[in-house]
Amino acid sequence: MHRSGDNVSSLSATPQNRRRWPIAALVVGVGVVLGGCAKNAPQDTFRPAGSNSQRIDNLARPVFYIAGIVGVIVLSVITYCVIKFKDRGQDIPEQTHGNPKLEIALTILPAIILAAIAVPTVVTVFALDKKSDSQCVINVTGQQWWWEYDYTAGNCGGVEITAPIVTAGELVIPAHTNVLLRITSRDVIHSFWIPRLNGKRDAVPGRLSTLRMEASQPGIYTGQCTEFCGLSHARMRQAAVALDTNDFKTWVDNQLQAYKAPDPGSLAATGEATFLAQCSKCHQINGILKPDGTPSLAEPDLYEVSGAAPNLTNLMTRTAFAGWTFDLISDKCRNELWNAKPADFGALYLQGVWMDTPAGATTPVCFNEANLRSWLRNAPAMKPMFSDPTQLASTGGRYRGMPNLNLSEAQIDQLVAFLLERK
Amino acid sequence: MFTTGSKLFLGATGLSIAGAVVFAATTGGAEGWLGAVGLTTLAVVFAFLAGINLYTRDANVPALEPGVEHTAAAAQPAPHGSLWPLVAALGAGGIVVGLVSRPVVFKVSVIVLLAALVEWLVQAWSERASASASYNASIRRRLLNPLEFPILGALVLGVVVYGFSRIMLTAPKSAGRIIFIVIGAVVLFAGFLLASKRGLAKTTVAGVATLGAVALLGVGVVSAVQGQRTIDQHPELTSAVCLGTASAAQTAEIDHRASQAVAMKSSVAANIVLTKDNRLVAFVNGYPNVEFHELTVPRSAEVNVLFRNDSPTARRLTARLGTFKASDGTPGNEQASCTTKLRQGGQAFLSFRVVKPALASSSPYAFIIPGLDGQEIKLLVP
Ligand code: HEC
Ligand SMILES: [Cu+2]
Repeated sequence: MHRSGDNVSSLSATPQNRRRWPIAALVVGVGVVLGGCAKNAPQDTFRPAGSNSQRIDNLARPVFYIAGIVGVIVLSVITYCVIKFKDRGQDIPEQTHGNPKLEIALTILPAIILAAIAVPTVVTVFALDKKSDSQCVINVTGQQWWWEYDYTAGNCGGVEITAPIVTAGELVIPAHTNVLLRITSRDVIHSFWIPRLNGKRDAVPGRLSTLRMEASQPGIYTGQCTEFCGLSHARMRQAAVALDTNDFKTWVDNQLQAYKAPDPGSLAATGEATFLAQCSKCHQINGILKPDGTPSLAEPDLYEVSGAAPNLTNLMTRTAFAGWTFDLISDKCRNELWNAKPADFGALYLQGVWMDTPAGATTPVCFNEANLRSWLRNAPAMKPMFSDPTQLASTGGRYRGMPNLNLSEAQIDQLVAFLLERK
Repeated sequence: MFTTGSKLFLGATGLSIAGAVVFAATTGGAEGWLGAVGLTTLAVVFAFLAGINLYTRDANVPALEPGVEHTAAAAQPAPHGSLWPLVAALGAGGIVVGLVSRPVVFKVSVIVLLAALVEWLVQAWSERASASASYNASIRRRLLNPLEFPILGALVLGVVVYGFSRIMLTAPKSAGRIIFIVIGAVVLFAGFLLASKRGLAKTTVAGVATLGAVALLGVGVVSAVQGQRTIDQHPELTSAVCLGTASAAQTAEIDHRASQAVAMKSSVAANIVLTKDNRLVAFVNGYPNVEFHELTVPRSAEVNVLFRNDSPTARRLTARLGTFKASDGTPGNEQASCTTKLRQGGQAFLSFRVVKPALASSSPYAFIIPGLDGQEIKLLVP
């Protein structure tokens, strides 16, 4: 038999259903809570790895606890009232209007709590916006669907950078150094986020926003674009790699090394020719010469909506490519690198694909050749991009991303041999 | 049986028929026929009127409904005199004046006349629509308010904007700020007064508002007659102007104290300053007080810099943005982008995009000050 109050719910929920709902809710709830225990969570904001993220954490935790306590109290009171005063057909209790004492108390208490939270919040906001203590400035430019890093000529954390360095996907920074990122975009709005090092910063075309970065230990810190930016937004990832000053200097010197042409007659030399024919209209490799002896300069402004394509001068010094989405090193080596102790990290990282390779061996053990080959075979098949030549009317023939170049397996062999020397 | 009025018309009908016959008989030919047709038509018209008079009993209302002559709508006195005849007359007069003076007077007068006629017509009609004055007023409102409110609103806004803009264009730049603050404060204060005095009569509020509007319009018109203060023209900043190779006529400008800078200050790649002693230096976010002489910027991305001229001479900042061959191999001209010339203390914003690396250009990328040799900031575009 139903009492009048139950009729509505009994229309939509059968008694059986009513028992299942709480169980389903419980399963989902427990699932979410257990999800918080994930061990392998490289983008966990609750594990700060630098002074800036530490500041955010120092602010967020107490606020989170206060909010948690308030939340629990409010929810308990509501639950208590809902159960205690459930409609059992009893008389409506006496109705009153207003209670000045209670109302004043309930206004002042939250005001005090908010004021108490406001002080450290404002202090943190200003601290995170500070620019005057930077020791290194790096331009970060987003485009569909990868990040470019331009190291400005000058001093970076005690290391002299004599000419600008351009890389993609993997941001190498000196550890224990206040790095100032100057973030902008070439096409749509993106957002740069390395959760363990700082909060997010939007990359807005035509504007320059700054973001502090400081890693307190050598290591690799991953992130991803957090502003929906089109087709492959989900595959627009990035990482910051922090190195000790010495290792960073090694890295910088290596990036600035003059171009070394492949040995004449080698497979790589054929690859160089193929690269000049197929790839260099978009991709820059610094120092590479055209057959006529003049420098080959990429013109991505003619082929890409963003006007840019990753600089491949030192491709093999990265551990992942194409929006930092596909590994350039094998799973085993990646695990080894990611789990390395801070003291060992730099040395391992600088070996790149040559990690674990016995001295004198000619093929790198850690190289993830399958991924690179598959990319060269058909890039848009690996990562959705706006690169079907028949559909480019709206962009005046310019691509968003890398097109399928229909290379032969022989060409891919040559290119891989050539790219393997870009280290 | 026959009412007084109908007798008159019946008589006229008879006379017309007789006339027609006599005319036709005595006047021959085409003329006779024409007269006969005319008089017969007259007879038909008189007969019709006689019929109507018979049918309405000479419109003798009391005879139909005793006492109705006091309660009928048409018997009501007009609620008040109307302003519209006066306005219409003004409009008509204005049209005449406009015809011999200025076209704008003519156009405005036509609009005034038309508006007055519409208002007058609707008012006259509504005041006789029923015996109830309040009902009459309400149907007038229902018909005209949807037109009046938006048009009047736009008009008042127009007066405010016009008056204000003329004042601002006439007043010197520095006084503009003060005027803005004062008028804003007065409006706020008046609004506050009106809001706080609840019982204020509608007419008082309307009066104050009208007075304000009229005062604004008056000062505005006076300012308009006075004419604008001198406002410099923005020149076209072509590459030739930027590089100082244009003729003097093309470079005559100046917006000496351009400062479209406020909103962008937070977003610049560098602050470039020409110091008092004519040194060109760049300051970069992150390195306070460090003077830079080269800047690294990403290619294909918008670059913003803020230029300030501290030197006593009026100067512009020019970005030399390279020289490129055309696709057919012909040599091109050097590209450049620049600010307007700035007086001492002036600031201006420069925004540009470099799509080719420096190596692709046959001339260097750099910031320079035209006319000032030896001062430059290198622009590195990897
Ligand atoms: C039409 C321009 C274009 C051409 C031609 C082109 N690429 Fe690309 N390439 C791109 C773009 C754009 C990306 C970035 C795609 C992304 O990550 O979303 C890219 C990414 C890559 C990457 C990953 C780089 C990184 O660090 O993330 C490699 C490697 C690469 N291309 C190799 C090649 C090779 C080899 C060729 C010649 C066979 C080639 N590309 C031809 C536009 C081009
Ligand atoms: Cu993005």
